Amino acid sequence: MLDNHDIKRLIITTGLRGEDSAAAFQALYKMCAPLLLGVARRLVGRRELAEEIVHDSFTRIWRSAESFNPTAAQPLAWMVTIVRNRAFDVLSSHDVSRVDALDADAYEDTGDGLFDWAADPEQGVSQQRSAQHLRDCLAALQAAERQSLTLAYAYGMSHSDLAAHLQKPLGTVKSWIRRGLANLRGCVERYMEGA
Amino acid sequence: MKFAANSHLDALCGEYLLGTLRGAARRRFERALREEPQVALHLRRWEQLFALRYSEMIGIEPPPSLWKRLDRELQLSRYRPRWDRNLGFWRAWAVAATFGLLTVMAVQLFPTAWFAEELTEIARLESTDKGVTLQAELSKDRRTLRLRAPRPVIAGPAQSYELWLLPAGGGAPLSLAVLGTLDASLSLPERQAAGLRTGAKLAISVEPAGGSPIGAPTGPVILIGEIQT
Repeated sequence: MLDNHDIKRLIITTGLRGEDSAAAFQALYKMCAPLLLGVARRLVGRRELAEEIVHDSFTRIWRSAESFNPTAAQPLAWMVTIVRNRAFDVLSSHDVSRVDALDADAYEDTGDGLFDWAADPEQGVSQQRSAQHLRDCLAALQAAERQSLTLAYAYGMSHSDLAAHLQKPLGTVKSWIRRGLANLRGCVERYMEGA
Repeated sequence: MKFAANSHLDALCGEYLLGTLRGAARRRFERALREEPQVALHLRRWEQLFALRYSEMIGIEPPPSLWKRLDRELQLSRYRPRWDRNLGFWRAWAVAATFGLLTVMAVQLFPTAWFAEELTEIARLESTDKGVTLQAELSKDRRTLRLRAPRPVIAGPAQSYELWLLPAGGGAPLSLAVLGTLDASLSLPERQAAGLRTGAKLAISVEPAGGSPIGAPTGPVILIGEIQT
């Protein structure tokens, strides 16, 4: 499991802009680039675009490392967010056909193979608990809502991609997404309040 | 319009994280994140609830060219220790190290005059039966003495050869070296080097293994020759 503590240390050393910064950044890249490339590959569906996204993201990570706030963000989540945001920029600016890019059989609708639900010892008890709640709440959603949320999150599908992939009207898909998010949030919050 | 007051703020935060908020709407939301702390706080709450962790199983190894490009474009060499900054340094180091290693190996494998200074013959040591002639050569700085035999002559297992300097003005023989073979190259201390002059003689005796036990020749002298410098 990628160690958030190590990642944090490497980001901070990178941001110091000293003689050890390049080595720390290289170690950070070696540790995290495969996962981030896997994330980008699923979001945009094409290997060469995914590599461009990872390149752009690491450029951003290098430049932002100086201002990285280790108390405000989980370091791996911070990097994943950079990759995801870059991927959505690329998806908006390129004519990327999501549905055709991956074999339809390659989509994993439940998210079980995409996400790591194991307890992360680096995270606090409350965060471990909220990950468990999230998993339970995703499982409790209606199948169509869960499938829409997973395909959108993991495979970067837009509303119209989802409508085409699921062969449903756009309005139906939008409402699944909206309801799915609201139900998910309400469910996790109920768990959290009861904990 | 202030996003913080938007009744759809929850839905926008969710769709932003999910990735279904795209294009101009996504850019407007990002501007609001920068400009309206309330929106950023709201999103932070969503991030805490929606903290999905990707499985490492989905990882793909990037091609080596990707790192090389980043290294070059970000000029990362500026952030390495001074001695580690450029490839040129390591290439030069590798060439120098290889050359050094080859030199050491060559000197050990071929201890001939290839790597020695220019040598001048100062004596020919001959056996009493004239069967063998040993050439003695001295370097210009008089610190290296080289013995060159016409064929390999190696001492027996219980024997050593010992090289003696017989001073020009007479006096006790001075041991220069104990040898296992007659082909040899010696570094001479200054005091001994000073004695290598015309009129003095070089001689080889056969001694017990390890050399004469008394500091003077004890075995037969097999080769002797006068120095001419």
